[in-house]
Parts: sequence; C-alpha cells; structure tokens
Amino acid sequence: MLIDWRSMSFRERREALQGYLSISPWVIGFLFFTLVPVLVSVYFSFTQWTITSPSEWVGLHNYIRMFTQDPLFWQALKVTGNFVLISVPLKLIFGVALSLLLNLKVRGMNLYRTIFYIPAVISGVAVSLMWIWLLQPDTGVVNTLLALVGIKGPGWFWDPQWALPSVALMSVWSVGGSAIVYLAGLQNIPPHLYEAAKIDGAGAWQRFWRITIPLLTPTLFFQLVVEMIESFKVFTQAFVITKGGPLKATYFYLYYFYEEAFQNFNMGYASALAVVLMVIIMTATIILNYTSKHWVYYAAEEEATK
Amino acid sequence: MRPETTMTPSIKAPLLSRRTRRWLEPGLTYLFMTALAFIFMIPLMWMLSTALKGRWEILAWPPQWIPTTPHWENFTEAFSRYPLGRFMLNSAFLVAANTVGQLLAVPLIAYGFARLRFPGKNSLFVIVLGTMMIPGHVKLIPLYTIYHRLGMIDTYWPLILPAFFGNPFFIFLMVQYMKTIPRDLDEAARIDGAGTWTILYKVILPLCKPPMTIIIVYTFLWTWNEFLHPLIYLNTFDSFPIQLGLSMFKGRYSVEWNLFMAATLISILPILILYFLVQRQLIGGIASVGLKG
Amino acid sequence: MTKKVRNFSYMLLIVMVLLSACAGGQATTVAPVEESTEAPVEESTEAPAVQEPVTIEWWTVSSEEYTEQVQRDLAAAFESTHPNIKVNVTVLPEGGFSEKMTTALGAGEGVPDVAFFWDNNWFPEALDLRPFIERDNFDTSMYIPGFWKTRALWNDTVVGLPLGVGAQFVMYNKDVFDEMGVTYPSEDWTTEEYLTKVAQLNDPDQKRWGSDRPRRPFRALWFNYGPDVRLYSDDSMIVDGYLNSPGSIAAYIWAWDLVDTGATPTPADIEVLGTEGTGPIDLFMAGRLAMATLNQGHMLNALNAGVNFGIVPEPGVAGNERFVNAWSLTSSIWKGTEHPDEAWTFLSWWVGPEGQRYLMENGNLFPSINSVLNEYEDADEEYAQAFFKVLELTQVSEWRNAHPCNSTVLRAVGDVWDKIMFGEIERDQIQAELDAIVPAAQESLDECRERLGG
Repeated sequence: MLIDWRSMSFRERREALQGYLSISPWVIGFLFFTLVPVLVSVYFSFTQWTITSPSEWVGLHNYIRMFTQDPLFWQALKVTGNFVLISVPLKLIFGVALSLLLNLKVRGMNLYRTIFYIPAVISGVAVSLMWIWLLQPDTGVVNTLLALVGIKGPGWFWDPQWALPSVALMSVWSVGGSAIVYLAGLQNIPPHLYEAAKIDGAGAWQRFWRITIPLLTPTLFFQLVVEMIESFKVFTQAFVITKGGPLKATYFYLYYFYEEAFQNFNMGYASALAVVLMVIIMTATIILNYTSKHWVYYAAEEEATK
Repeated sequence: MRPETTMTPSIKAPLLSRRTRRWLEPGLTYLFMTALAFIFMIPLMWMLSTALKGRWEILAWPPQWIPTTPHWENFTEAFSRYPLGRFMLNSAFLVAANTVGQLLAVPLIAYGFARLRFPGKNSLFVIVLGTMMIPGHVKLIPLYTIYHRLGMIDTYWPLILPAFFGNPFFIFLMVQYMKTIPRDLDEAARIDGAGTWTILYKVILPLCKPPMTIIIVYTFLWTWNEFLHPLIYLNTFDSFPIQLGLSMFKGRYSVEWNLFMAATLISILPILILYFLVQRQLIGGIASVGLKG
Repeated sequence: MTKKVRNFSYMLLIVMVLLSACAGGQATTVAPVEESTEAPVEESTEAPAVQEPVTIEWWTVSSEEYTEQVQRDLAAAFESTHPNIKVNVTVLPEGGFSEKMTTALGAGEGVPDVAFFWDNNWFPEALDLRPFIERDNFDTSMYIPGFWKTRALWNDTVVGLPLGVGAQFVMYNKDVFDEMGVTYPSEDWTTEEYLTKVAQLNDPDQKRWGSDRPRRPFRALWFNYGPDVRLYSDDSMIVDGYLNSPGSIAAYIWAWDLVDTGATPTPADIEVLGTEGTGPIDLFMAGRLAMATLNQGHMLNALNAGVNFGIVPEPGVAGNERFVNAWSLTSSIWKGTEHPDEAWTFLSWWVGPEGQRYLMENGNLFPSINSVLNEYEDADEEYAQAFFKVLELTQVSEWRNAHPCNSTVLRAVGDVWDKIMFGEIERDQIQAELDAIVPAAQESLDECRERLGG
C-alpha cells in the first residue's frame, strides 16, 4: 500500500492526513490488542503446544491434519455452516417483523418495546436454562401447548434431528436486541417520502417494498454481517445445554475449539482451528461486502456520484 | 395511519366501515401485541417462580407456577450471601467507563471511514470488520501476557482500555449510519467555513443520535453481562463485577437455583430500566435528524 | 488553514482531557482494591521487630466445602501465626477456575504461588515438593494412601498435597423403598440386583424413577466389570481389546438394559437444569429418584434437609474387585514461584492437619488425613460410617493412570453412548458398534500420544 503523495493535490493530502488522524485510535488499539494476539495465535498454529511444555514448530502439520485426517473438524464445520444458514435468515425476518410492529404508533409502546427486549438482556446460563425448561419434551411449556392442539412435540435439544433447529429457535427468541437496531433504521426514514408516495397513490405494500426496504438496506446489511459473524461464533448454547450432542448434532466449531484448547490443552491445533475460522468468516464477509454494492442503498453515495 | 400498519390485519378490511376500522385496528394491534408480549414474558415469569421456591422445590412434581409458600426471603438471602450491591456498583463503573470510551472513539473513527478519503481506506475497513470475527478465547493468553507486562492484572484497565480504541461492531454501525446522511449537509457547512472536525462535531454527530443510543444500550448490555474477561483479569473479590458474583451461587456439587435466579432477576433490572428510559431518546433522535425539510 | 488546525488541536485537547479525566476517575476507584493488599505491608514496616513479610498469591474456589468467607478466615488464621508471610487470597467461582488457571499457565506469568492443580495437564508446571518434604520430615503417611498415590504422586515426583476427599456412591431414599416394599440394597449388591430394584421402584404416576443413569461411560461401575475394562492398555498404546473387551461390552449392555427398564430419567429429564451436573441431586431431593449416584456433598444436602436416606457403594459384579470413583484436590506450588519456602509453609499448613481441621470445623470439608477425618463430629453416625467405608475401596484406575489422552479417546466413544442413551440402538448391535469405533479411537489415541509424548 504505497501512497503516492506527490500526485495528490494539497487538499487531497490534507484530507488523507485528517483521515488517518481520525482513525488513529482504532489503528493503535488494533496494533496492540488485536494484531499482536492474532499474530501470536497464527504462530502457535504452526506449532504443537500443550501449555505446559515449550511449543515445538511443526510447520503445516496442524492444517494438513485438519483437512485430511480430522472428521471432527468437518463435522464442526458442517454443523456451524448449517446453523448460519438457518439462523441468519430467521433472525433477519423476525427482527424486521418485530421492529415494524414496535414502530407502530400506539400508546404504551415503550412498555412493549421493553418487554420484547427482555430475552436479549438475560445472558448466558439463565437464558439457556430457561430454554431447556421450555423445550423439555415431556413437561416443557412448548410441548404441553402443542399437545393441547393435538401435536406431539419433538424431542428438541435431545433429538439429533431437532437439536440444531432448537438452538436456532432459541436465537430467534432474543431477536429483540437486533429489532432495536432495525427500529432505529426505520425511525431514520424521512416521513415525507411516505407522504409523497401516498399522494402518488402507492399502497401500503408498495410503500413497504419501495421505500421501507430500500431505505432499510444499510441497516439490513449491517445486521446481516453482524449476525452472520455471531452465528459462526455460536458457543454458549452448546457449552451449557447440549455439550455438542446428541450424536454431535450441535458440535459447533467454537465448541470444538474450546474442547481442544481448554480441555485437551491442544493449543497449537486449537490456534490453527481459530485461524481457519477467521479466514472463513473473513471470506464470507468480503463476499457480502462485495455484493452490497448492488443492493445496499446509500443516500449520501447516491448524491455524491450525481 | 403510518404505512407500517401493513403488519396489522387491517389491510384486508375495506369491507368494514371507516368508523369500525378506527377502533378495530388499534384493538387488534393491542390484542396481538399483548399476546406476543405474554409469550416473551414467560422467561421472566419462570425465573420469578424459581426465585420464590424453596431450595429443592424446583423439580418437584407436579410443577408449580406459583409456589404455595413464596420464599420472598430468597432475595434478601442472596444479598446477604455475597455483596451483590457492591458487585453491581463495580459493573456500573465499568459500564460508565466503557460508554465514555466508545462514545469518544467511535464517531471519530467512523467519520474517517465514512467521509474522508485516504489511500488504503477500503482495505483498512475490511480489517475493522475482520477484527469482529476473532473469537475472544483465541486472544486470551496473548492478551493476558500483554496486560501482565503492563502491570494491569487485578486492575480495571484491561476491561476499560479497549473501549477507548473503538469497538469494531460500533465503528461499523456508525459508518453505516453516517453514510446515510446526505453529503449536501457537509457541503453547506463547508461553504459556511466549517472545517473537517467542525463538520463532524457540529453537523454529523447531532444527526447520529440513534446509533449513539444503540452504542450506549449495547455497551451497557455487553459490559454488564461480561464474564470471561473480568474472570481472567481480576483477582480481588471486592472488585468483581456482577456476573462473577452471580456465578458464585454455582457450587461444585449443586447450584442454589432459587438464590441464583433471584440474584439474576435483580441484576437485569438496571438494564431494563436504562432501556425503558433510553428508548425515548431513540425516538427523540428522529425529531432532531432534521431531514424533513 | 490555521483556523482548521486550531480547531483540530482544540478537539484533540478536549479528547485528551476527557481521556485523562476518565483515567483519573478510574484510578481512584481501582485504588482501594490495591490499597487493601498493600496496606498491611506498610504497617509492618513501621514495626521494627518484624522483618518485612513476603506476600504469596493463593488462588482458590468457593464451594460447598469451603465458602469464600471461611477461606478468607483461614488465611487470616495462618497469617496470625506466621507474621512474616502474607497470603493474598483470590476466591474464584468454581465455574471459572480452570479457564483462569489455563490462561495464566499458558502465558507463563501471573500464575499464583499456591493453587489447585486439579487438571493433570497442569502437573508439569507444579513444583516438585520432595526436597521440602525431606527437609522438614513432613509426614506424608498421614494422608489416606489411595489419595496420596492418585493425587500427589506423578511421574515419581510429588506435584502437590491432596486437599479433602470426595467419592461417588449410591444414595437411596428409605421412605420410597418402604413405600414400594423394596428391601434396602446391601454393601455387596450386584448390577443385576440394581436393575431389579430400579424396575420395582419406578412409579410413573408420581413421575418418580427407580434411579438415575450414569452420564458417562468408564466410571467406577465400568471397572467393576473386570480388569480388562479400560479405554486402552495400561501403557496407553492399544485401544482394541480394552474399549471393546468382553467386560466393556457387558458394561455397555448393562447400561442398555438400564435404559430399557424405562425406569430412569432420560437425558432430557436429567439435564433439565443444564449440564451443571446437578440434575440427579435436584431430582433426588424433590423425591423423584428412589436411588441416585451422588457424592458426599449431596449427602450433606440430604442430611440438612432431613431426607431419610442410606448409602451403599455402587453395585458390582460378583467375584470381581470393586472400585470407587473418588477424588481429592491436588494443591500445588507453581514452578515459577519467587517464594518457594513461604509457599511451602502455607501449603503444608493449609493442606496439613491444622488447615484441613479448620476447614472441616468451619466448613464442610472431609479431610484427606485419617486422624483428622476421625474427629468428624458425626463420625459414629450411620451415614458417615457408610461414607468412610466407600473411601476404603480401590479407586478407579482412570485416576491412577490419568493419562490426558483419556478425554480424547472418550470423545470417540461418545456417539455409541448417545445412541444407547437415546434408545437408538439394539442390544445385539452394541458389540459391533464398539468394534466399529476402535479404529477412530486408536487414531485419536495415537495423535494425542504423539502430541503429549507417551
């Protein structure tokens, strides 16, 4: 990344300088708190390291083993990939739907907004426990309700077929958190656009697809990226509820990483696992970022290119 | 009505008279919202029910929603067992420090990425996104070494310092928002003689209230719920934040579920109160956006 | 231009001021924390007679056996008799201790002088205590031999002293037995008797089960099926013939039969409070399990709640030696400590007769020293006698040759285990399934051995 200062005008140079200044806090933080630890991890991924013995350089051994000899790696990758494909669209759809609901102009909306936000604030163990209890096959609330309408509920977390969808369902529950991000996006849409469209005779459905959705795309894009990353990093549910089972149906990538690093103390291999995950998510994000040019609508950019 | 009412069943209602629709529409909305809210409240109700039970009544059969003898003393018992008030104050301090850090750093950094042109900007932004992808556990050991060499173990620094360099999630959010603000506003200010930084703090930032509110809410949420990093970096019991305190109720052989749930319930109250208060701000944000003109 | 530069410098200044203001505000809040650790040091410099005390770091956990307060008092009691040593206590939640220790050990710095080294993988980082033991003529024979052998000795070195004892056994609810007209189990009962009683005690109407299920293979019950029941050979080389030995297969079939009675809670029933491993005790205390494999901590729970219970060892196979799953916490000194002598003084006091007695009398610890254990206030009671008897059984060799590869190989067996627990396999398929996973298990073992070297 060579910078050709000479070909730049005075104004461009000054703007570039200001640009670097403004992002400098991030750069400093990145160097100390991210780059160094990540480089250390990358280094360890080429070693065999069990914490208590000095690390030993093994070259690409960990990576070769991962891709050619480790069925658990592929299982973890498959499970996590499936989870991303199931949970991300679910969370997007439900998040937007909920935010539309919360954007209605009715009295007492503040209270509703707080209520729908509750599942998002209860963290870790408590929320996992609640779900185990709700989805307990015989006595849980969900299957009891299903039984009332004559449906025999599945085994949820304890059925290899249903375990992964159950975890996805669980993440939909706490969609109240992302709904407030959408809500903020909705609130940012200028009302005059709707009024103008109404005058032009556009129906509610048309207004939704022609105004709401396009103007929400920056928020949608943001949430898409964030939720994809979060889904790749799913861990707590497997750690607290399923322990990766049954039959490794919820053997998430980070759960495998955790087992290797903190239970088997296979730090070198775990580092290699982490590096591969980073590369996978980064690739997915870059692809998403590339497609965003085609569907994300930025008012500012639009006007700038005019 | 606002266009968002597409969600209510009223679209299908042209058969009804205008007057009927006037009360039916909000009526149905309320009904639907209340039903949904009830479902969303189930976790809280269950937690409350558990918090009011005796030590060994949680799995009793038949299950009880409302304990025959509610043990309200569980709440006081939880507080007498561990200094939960102190823990919550510690957490509150961490939240405040982190919020200040994020609010100072994020707009500045995002402004650079959203508005200023400089070589390498796009690749650097991809790196910002990239840092969101690193699982926390990966950095644990190297970071522990760094903070130990800086003499910061058993202080709050490792839990505060990173905030002042901006969280990538928030930077990304802020950049997305700033991109939606028309550049005409910058240009107009520039013609009036405003410099780059004046534009940021006088023109752009006042329009960024919604993302700022989101930053506040999420910083609160994440800092309040943080377990791993305080665990790793803090040693002194009295400096523990609330999540470490909650986990003290889990023993080696059994968990005091009733006390744990009572303490958990109390610990989420501050978040809910903040959220309830702050969402007015969230809405107030639009009024000041000033895009109407 | 100059105006812009000025504007910017103002901005920068404001940011700096705010930053430092926050830093200042925070420093004062952090300060009390540090003061509390340093204040006594300053005090002592004023007292000329005493030499400057050495501060050692001690990490421990809060648990049923010793609460946070009891351990704080313990440290104070030690300090009062050892004025030249100050113990800086860090009491951690049980659920986070491993991660914190692993992180510090991995970093190789910021490790406490004294702590539990309860994971065998940490042993290489523990200070060999033999020189201290020799120098002080420290009597190691006071420890119950089984625990000394399994939790203190490692590779011909002494990696720590064993604090407290714990063991698994079957606890049975006498009231339920009486209600169902079933005779109480005896000390030498068999796995067949177990199955019979489980079926007799089951009562679906009350949602009460005969017993819980083992939640992992290769526990004490397994070893009762014979000397060939191991995950792999004693030299940690071969899986074939151990994991799928006749004894192992018999043990798996027993687990299958137990599931088949329909008289035990499913994983969904038992994990309803999460995988904190507490499901059985909560169900047992709620009166919904007639029997359960529990431990001495649970025994105290039942005692406090006034449950009418009895204790027997886990059932065995007629003619075979009986084993018990028992444990003690290896308490060690870190190899990198700067104060080995002071650390030893504290460790040998804390895990010695005085410290363990203190924790028994003020907490709920069962000491690993027989002479102190016999001072237990209820030592003559039926439950204590039954518990002490369980402790005399041979401990399972998974602890004796607790090779760190254990967990890796066990993971390979996980699927067969799940299939049995979820009833997804026929009884006569078990042998074939076990044979089928041998290659994968062997591969895991080879990989792990190569990594850990033996």
